[in-house]
Amino acid sequence: MADKFHTELEALKKETLEMAKLGRQMLRTAVDALVQQDSALAESVVAQKDEIHRMEVALEEHCYQLIALNQPMARDMRVIACSLKVITASHRIGRYGKVIAKIVQEISDKPHIANLMSIPHMAELVMDMVDDAVKAYETDNLRFIANFSARDDTIDALRHSIFREGITYMMEDPKTITRCTHYIMVARYLERCADHACKIAENVQYMETGERVEIH
Amino acid sequence: MSESAIITTQDLNLWYGGKHALQSVSMHIPKNRVTALIGPSGCGKSTLLRCFNRLNDLIDHVKITGEITLDDENIHDRKTDVVSLRKRVGMVFQKPNPFPKSIYDNIAFGPRVHGVRNKTDLDRIVEESLKRAALWDEVKDRLHDPALALSGGQQQRLCIARTLAVEPEVILMDEPCSALDPIATAKIENLIDMLKEDYTVIIVTHNMQQAARVSDYTGFMYLGKLIECGKTVQIFEHPKEELTENYITGRFG
Repeated sequence: MADKFHTELEALKKETLEMAKLGRQMLRTAVDALVQQDSALAESVVAQKDEIHRMEVALEEHCYQLIALNQPMARDMRVIACSLKVITASHRIGRYGKVIAKIVQEISDKPHIANLMSIPHMAELVMDMVDDAVKAYETDNLRFIANFSARDDTIDALRHSIFREGITYMMEDPKTITRCTHYIMVARYLERCADHACKIAENVQYMETGERVEIH
Repeated sequence: MSESAIITTQDLNLWYGGKHALQSVSMHIPKNRVTALIGPSGCGKSTLLRCFNRLNDLIDHVKITGEITLDDENIHDRKTDVVSLRKRVGMVFQKPNPFPKSIYDNIAFGPRVHGVRNKTDLDRIVEESLKRAALWDEVKDRLHDPALALSGGQQQRLCIARTLAVEPEVILMDEPCSALDPIATAKIENLIDMLKEDYTVIIVTHNMQQAARVSDYTGFMYLGKLIECGKTVQIFEHPKEELTENYITGRFG
């Protein structure tokens, strides 16, 4: 029975990775749509929200069933606890992709201000953090998340920089207010995605070592 | 282990003839706590449990080295009276084993052996013991019925009450629920939780979920060795030893 359970645990991890890929891809596509001002591409992200929600419900259910039927302990329990957090974080990251895609649909008819400021650069860094957090979960390797605290500090600094830059443009020209406000919101959503990557990293650390750490 | 220990073993070894069944076991049993011993069949957990009240003395060709102290007294000391040791360290077995007597006489048996003759005293001991074993309400109107007429779960609680009647300090339980259904098991588990207010409980169980539910400390044994011993929450959440991890996640055993 233990073999069957461990096979199911492996399957859960694979399914969770699929969901993490979908959440990451929704965010990636939304940022691409923002850079390219592509409403159709943005619409494809919005259309994926039901799919990621369905995955979240199904995977959580899978976790609860594994707990109820097998009463997992030690690492097995920690793998399921971590997977539940990865599921939630991936859902949130995908949903932020959807929210950014909605913004694209609102502002894609007007040219970018200052080439979107630092948003594309910030998005790349956030994407890398999400990738590394998920890779750590996939490979049980903490090396990928070793310097997450410093990387998160960089993201916070970039969000603050975009906020100040946006305010400057808005003060100079009120016609930029709508777009700059949206940029500030996008920077905020990207920062939250980095926070979710940190949450995944914290839980991978717990999964691997049983120790709780706080990354911020 | 920072809590005060009631039993301590130091470099305890036991041989059944040529078989080295316990190998250098050193551990502390904290007072007024429940300690569970887990491990695969034949790992030595029942043997260790039986060392605590010298039940292994009854087996031929057993050799023991090392030290076991109960409240800092060596239980293998020549001065130790085994009957009084077994009064202080009581035992509940896997299968309920009431005597073929009445409920009352089962409980009164131990106190009578230890010299209590006064009926009022015996009545009080019987009532208190049955209350502590959470059986009083179910049997108070039929104390003179045969104990063997009780259900399996009730018989096991009767055996616990019988152990309590001689006012032990430590109660050893060897798989006390393995012959019981889930409801009777839950009652015994609740009882164990209540008993630790007044007694120290050491329980051997194959059921890891039971160990996790009822114990404060858990020791994992394997091939005669105590591999790891610590707070139950630590053992079941993040054990330090890979062997423990592999056993409690079902990768062997």
